[in-house]
Amino acid sequence: MIDSAARFSNRQVAPGDLPDFRRVELQHVARAFVPYAVLVQVLFWLILALAVAGFRVVPFSPFAPDWWVVAVLVLAATWFGGMAWLDARRRGWALREHDLIYRHGIIWRRTVIVPFARIQHVETSSGPLERAFGLMRVKCFTAGGAMSDLSVVGLDGESARKVRQHLLEQIRDAGEVGPDRGEAGEIDES
Amino acid sequence: MSPEDWQRLAPLALVFLFFRSLQKFIRENLFLFVGAGAGFAFLDWLGPRELVLAGAGVLLVLIGGSVIYFRRFRFRIEDDAVRVRRGVFEKKELRVRFARIQNIQIGQPFYFRPFGLVRFSLETPGASEKEVELPGIRRELAEWMRDRIAERQRPDGAQAPVEVATGDAGVAELYHATTGRLLLHGMASNQVWVLAGVVAYLASQLMHRFSEQLDEAEMLVAGLERFDNGWLVLLGGVTALLAILMVLSAVISVLRYHGFRLEDAGDRFVARHGLLDEQEQTVRREKVTGLMFRQSAVGRLLDCWSLAVRQTRSSDVEEQAERGGFLVPGMARRQMGIASRLLEGAQPPGDIQPISARFRRLYWQRGFILLLVVLSVVSFTWYWGHWTAVVSAVTMPVVLLALHLRYRHWGWSRGDEVLWVRQGLLGQRIDGFRLDRVQQVRIVQSIYQRRHGLANLQLVLPQGSVTIPFLPLDAAADLANEAAYIAETALDHRV
Repeated sequence: MIDSAARFSNRQVAPGDLPDFRRVELQHVARAFVPYAVLVQVLFWLILALAVAGFRVVPFSPFAPDWWVVAVLVLAATWFGGMAWLDARRRGWALREHDLIYRHGIIWRRTVIVPFARIQHVETSSGPLERAFGLMRVKCFTAGGAMSDLSVVGLDGESARKVRQHLLEQIRDAGEVGPDRGEAGEIDES
Repeated sequence: MSPEDWQRLAPLALVFLFFRSLQKFIRENLFLFVGAGAGFAFLDWLGPRELVLAGAGVLLVLIGGSVIYFRRFRFRIEDDAVRVRRGVFEKKELRVRFARIQNIQIGQPFYFRPFGLVRFSLETPGASEKEVELPGIRRELAEWMRDRIAERQRPDGAQAPVEVATGDAGVAELYHATTGRLLLHGMASNQVWVLAGVVAYLASQLMHRFSEQLDEAEMLVAGLERFDNGWLVLLGGVTALLAILMVLSAVISVLRYHGFRLEDAGDRFVARHGLLDEQEQTVRREKVTGLMFRQSAVGRLLDCWSLAVRQTRSSDVEEQAERGGFLVPGMARRQMGIASRLLEGAQPPGDIQPISARFRRLYWQRGFILLLVVLSVVSFTWYWGHWTAVVSAVTMPVVLLALHLRYRHWGWSRGDEVLWVRQGLLGQRIDGFRLDRVQQVRIVQSIYQRRHGLANLQLVLPQGSVTIPFLPLDAAADLANEAAYIAETALDHRV
C-alpha cells in the first residue's frame, strides 16, 4: 500500500502542458514492409484478374466476363499497389512512457493512441508471407469490442518481440497497483 | 439443503424454457420465411395436414429440447462464484466469478408468481448475452444470491450503503415513471415504425395474394376510386393505422415498464418494473461506463427521453437497450439531472459546441452531385421525361435538409470530468462518459480534412466507440491529448 502510494502522484497539469502526440517523432516501420505491402495488394488483384480471365479461356464456362473487367482489375492492382507503397513508406509508430502511437493510411490518415493501462492482452503473429520478409505484427486488445483491437503491422521480428515484452511489463506494473485499489474501494478484478 | 450443493430448477421452469425456445425459433426463422417472400408459396405447396404435422413436429422437438435441457441443468453457489452445468447435446460447465458480474436481473413472469419462483440472470463484461440464466428458482434463493454477490464484490469492511441521501434502509429513490410518462414513452418509441413496417409488408403481401381471388378487395379498390378524394381516404386510413400502432406500442410500454422505479443503493443501482413480467435489475456503480440519452422524433414533441446506462460489451453490434439493457424510460428534460447520480460528475450537457460548418458544405456538395448522377442515370434508363424535374424538386430539398439536420445535431460539450457527444437526424442521442474510461484515442483525417485543418476524433470506450467528426485539428488534438493523459493517470484501470 505504502509502496504504491509513494509511486502514485497526481500533480496538476495545465492543458497546454500536456504531452502532444503530434510532436512525437514516429519511427518508420521495417524497410521490408514496403515490398511486402505492395506484393500483398498486387497479388490479390492480379489473382482476381487471372481468375476472371480464366472464365474466358475455359471451355463451357457458365459466364464469360468482358476483357474490360480484367483490365479494370489490373488497373486496381496498379492503383492499390501504388497506394500500399505510399502508405508503407509513411507508416510509423512510437512508444511513449505511457502509451503506444501508431499512424497509418494515405487517403484516410489514422493516428491511434493506446494507453498501456488500457491494454488487456498483447500477442504477436506473422503469416507465411510476413515471415518470408522477416515481419511480425503486434496485436493489442482493449475493451470496446473486437473491432477496436489495434494491430501494429510492419515491425521486424526483433522490434515486435521487444514491443510485446515492453507492453507486457507495463501491463504487469499497472496490475501490481491492483490490490491497493481494492482497499481504496476501487476493486475491478476482471 | 445448503445453497452450496448442486441444485436443480423447479419443474415450472419447463414452461419458461419452452416459451423461450419457441420465441427463439420464431425469431430466427420468421424473418427468413417472410423475408425471402417464400412464405406464402411454401404454405401453398404444403397442404393443411402437412402443415399441422410439421407444426406438431416442431413443437415436439422444442418440448423435447426443453425437457433435456431442464433435466441436465444444475447450478451451485460457491464462495466467490456461481457454477452452472448445462447443455442438450454436449455438457458445458461454466464458472462465473462474482467480481466480474456487472448486472444482475431477477425477473418474475406472471406464471411464476403463484409459486414464488423467479428467473435469475447474470451478465459479465465478456459475454454478448446473459451469461448465466437460472429460470425457476425460489425468490428467497435468488435474493440471497444477489445479496451474497453484492457482499462479495464489496471491499472488506465496507458497509452496503455509502453516502446515501435518504431512507432508513439506505436506499434513495432517483426516479419513478408515472403511467402517463410510460404511455408517452411507448408512443415516442421507434418500435412504432418497426411495427408499421412489418404491417405494411404483410399487408402488401396479403393484398397481392388475395386481390386476384377476393371480390371484396376489388370492391374496396373500386370504392376508393369512386371517391373523388380517394387519396384523402387512403391518408386517413394510414393515419388511423399509425394511431392504432402508437396505442399498441404505448400499451406494450406500460406492460413492460409498469411502476418503474430507479433506486440508488450506494454501490449499486436497482431498477424495478413490469406488470406481466416483474423485473429487478441491479447494476454495480463502478461497472457503469457511460450514459446515453435518447429522444426520437416523436419524443421531441412529447418531451420524452430515455436513458440507457451503458456497460462494457464484447459484441460489436450495438445492443438494443429495449432488450435486456438497463433503460430508464419516459423521462422529461427537467429530470435529466439524475445523470449526476448515475455517473460521477455528469451534469447534463450545457452549451453544445458545434462541429465545423465544412461538414455541411462538403456533404451538401457530395449529396448534390450524387443525386444528380443517380437521377440522370435513372431518367435516361427509364425515360422519365418531365418526371425527372418533379422528382428532383422533391428529393433535392429533402436530402439537403437531412444533411443540414445531421450537421446541426453533431456537437460536443465538455463538463469538468465528463464529455457529452450529441448526434441525430430527426431524433437525437447524447452519449456521456468520463474521460478516464477511454480505451483508445484515434484521430482520423481525410485528404479534404487535412487541407482544411480538420479531423475526426474517435474515442474507444468499453461500451463502444464515440466519434466527433469535423473538429478543428487543434481542438481534436487537445481533446485527444487530454483523454490520453486522463486515461493514463486514472487509478482504476481495466474493465
